[in-house]
Amino acid sequence: DSHTQYERVGADVTMKCGSMEWDAAVTWTANGTDIDESHLNGSYLILKNVDLSQSGQYSCYEGSSWHLKYQTYLKVGMPPKEPVLTCRSNNYPKGFYCSWHLPTPTYIPNTFNISVIHGTKDMVCEKDAVPKNRCHIRYLQLFSTVKYKVTLTVTNALGKNYTAVTFDEFAIVKPDPPESVVAKPVPNNPRRLEVSWQNPSSWPDPESFPLKFFLRYRPLILDQWQHVELSDGTSHTITDAYAGKEYIIQVAAKDNDIGTWSDWSVAVHATPWTEEPKHLTTEAQITETTSASTSSFMAPPTTKICDKGAVVGSGAVAVCWTAGLVVAAYSVLFI
Amino acid sequence: SPTGDSWGIFTFLCAALCNLPALPALNCSEELGAGQSIQQTYDLTRYLEHQLRTLAGTYLNYLGPPFNEPDFNPPRLARAERVPSATVDLDLWRGLTDNARLAANYRAYSRLLCYLRVLDGQVGTAELRHRLAHFCASLQGLVLSIGGVMSSLGYPLPAGPAGPPAPPGMHAAPNDFLKKMDDFWLLKELQTWLWRSAKDFNRLKKKVPPAVVTLRLEARGF
Repeated sequence: DSHTQYERVGADVTMKCGSMEWDAAVTWTANGTDIDESHLNGSYLILKNVDLSQSGQYSCYEGSSWHLKYQTYLKVGMPPKEPVLTCRSNNYPKGFYCSWHLPTPTYIPNTFNISVIHGTKDMVCEKDAVPKNRCHIRYLQLFSTVKYKVTLTVTNALGKNYTAVTFDEFAIVKPDPPESVVAKPVPNNPRRLEVSWQNPSSWPDPESFPLKFFLRYRPLILDQWQHVELSDGTSHTITDAYAGKEYIIQVAAKDNDIGTWSDWSVAVHATPWTEEPKHLTTEAQITETTSASTSSFMAPPTTKICDKGAVVGSGAVAVCWTAGLVVAAYSVLFI
Repeated sequence: SPTGDSWGIFTFLCAALCNLPALPALNCSEELGAGQSIQQTYDLTRYLEHQLRTLAGTYLNYLGPPFNEPDFNPPRLARAERVPSATVDLDLWRGLTDNARLAANYRAYSRLLCYLRVLDGQVGTAELRHRLAHFCASLQGLVLSIGGVMSSLGYPLPAGPAGPPAPPGMHAAPNDFLKKMDDFWLLKELQTWLWRSAKDFNRLKKKVPPAVVTLRLEARGF
């Protein structure tokens, strides 16, 4: 019959040839290759300071008859180090998930056991099929004052280890990055880029739990990012792009009130609109276009404050009101 | 005259706003009042949450270990149930009517304010007394703000807590440690309520859209 034995890296291993006497004549093989007699002590096989390369099948044959007397599979590995455990809620208020990994491999099979305690209650963390080493929990209650404690134990044939994390419901909220980020040039506007994106699909209820966004952009040729924080809306127009330069743009999301920022979204590239070189306008056409735009009504600068993303709080309401009235009043006078 | 025309436009905008099908049938000034008040109340909860972080830090240090340790995670004792809890079943929270939602907030902060005022009378250091007094004043403002929203939406204010809080002797903690535990849980519940209120008022904002959104549309279309 066949056995498996697990041994630590660096250990000294003694293999007995089954029930054979110590002084019996035997031959040992490792993965089919004969082992030199110098490693034998009688019929015992001695392996000193084993390393990973010595894992394999070891067989013991009776000297003359070449009968197989004993066979074992040696697996050299290590007891587990303290695992790394992270818990995160990317789907608040539905629940959270925890994922884990070992900082260094053990080279032998490991079993993970996870337990979640909320106050005095035990909760079940359902293991995910994909990816492995991940489980998820549904919140039964919201706005809890009691912390969650998640303990992860990892066990293998050579030992065990564990780690635990304790956290408040709000502390682990971190959405996934925004999706479908698109950046487009704006026709006839050499300094603008229109960026739009979508809420991450894992965020279940953006109506009651709105997200705010952080946009960063820079021309490829520069290292310094420019940032814009947007408290609502899933689009923004960059108005200070350098003409003709290719830009790299990313967006991040955060619950309006709690938790931390998501990772940055996939980066998108865009270049602002530039005038076609072959359609060079004549001097006359240039002056015509310039005077046309100044004679049509231009909104006074104060209305810029009403642009999406800049309006926060009730103070801005009064400004919008005033600006709206001013626009209304002027347009009546000019009709 | 230009002034007359401006007023004409103003009343036109107001009438157009009030007749938009999306809005509930409230008269113009009430609609503006509720929308703005909800936003103000929301902003106030965020301000208080920020203030509380500093206050709680100072207070827990005053209580000393283990209360000021970040990992401190004591079991909830039965006596702590007197402090109103923000914890609620998810589906229940979603299904709350606007009235129930606002009333829960109003009742909770009224009681929390009472407990905080009792605390204020007992703390040792002048710095803490000053911070607590300031916080209580802001919290009072929050209670009034919530009351204002309820009134503008036509909801009755919930009855105040039954009588003044029990005299200090009644439910007083039997020892110093348990008294500190009471304080710890009070601050924790307050913090959680402020997080919850942000979400409550977000939901209310959607139900009663702020006037600024519709007004902006009108101005641009003009």
